Amino acid sequence: MPRIVREAGVSWEGNVARGTGAISATSSNAFSGLQYTVAARIGIPEGKTSPEELLAAAHGACFTMSLASELSKAGTPPKRLDVRCVVTMDEIEGKGHQIVHSQIDARGTAPGCDEAAFAQAAEAADASCPLSALIRASATVAVTASLS
Amino acid sequence: MATERTMSTTWHGTLMEGAGTIHEAPSGAFGALDVSWTSRAEAPDGRTSPEELIAAAHSACFSMALSHGLAQSGTPAERLDTTATVTFVPGEGITKVALTVRGTVPGIDEEGFAAAAEGAKTGCPVSKALAGVPEITLDAVLAG
Repeated sequence: MPRIVREAGVSWEGNVARGTGAISATSSNAFSGLQYTVAARIGIPEGKTSPEELLAAAHGACFTMSLASELSKAGTPPKRLDVRCVVTMDEIEGKGHQIVHSQIDARGTAPGCDEAAFAQAAEAADASCPLSALIRASATVAVTASLS
Repeated sequence: MATERTMSTTWHGTLMEGAGTIHEAPSGAFGALDVSWTSRAEAPDGRTSPEELIAAAHSACFSMALSHGLAQSGTPAERLDTTATVTFVPGEGITKVALTVRGTVPGIDEEGFAAAAEGAKTGCPVSKALAGVPEITLDAVLAG
């Protein structure tokens, strides 16, 4: 299988309390100069992204593609999938800040697929999505799935 | 206190022929982003991918942790430039993350900077979440 390589870059200026970073998608140029700060990461985003928001985007998109693949393999390709991903970071006693949970909620329409088959495809997608496996090593990952 | 961040994706059709949209970030930081299998696995053609978003999350998290570590040891950074390169092998998973950082940090030597960078690589929350990646490399050097 081919190796897929993607790169992103950050410029950070200043110390952590008052500093600001800018995040750019250097492989695709799909986004650039996204601002982030400690205050916006921990508190109210106020228009700024954060590592956790980007991780939620990555995990949600990765799971969605895996689910499309599993449904297609089962002979019931999806018409539409809507997947929400919520990533939670918490401060753990003695361990500092840690990503503790990623919650995936998938709704979909796949002609010929019943609730049980959809749930089974979601389970298979969770098993085949590379990010689910990685996150599960140090946090919990939970998946709910139902036909819309 | 726990911090939650939510993102949503909509997909139409099969993996190979279909396409998806990552919806506008609830933070307001970026608008909708198109994704497809072709742009994930072949040329990006202006589209982001899960691997690029992981690279963005990891480089951002690492930079913030490094800035924090440097400030704590009394040598705050003036500027850090970080890249994260994520390698994904379909069927195998994410096999490598390469972190590269160039820093302008008054009052620190190469050894001190490398040690601070190593601490950020081990300790930042995204590093911990990606600890299962078989190879995470770090190249940390002070800028000219």
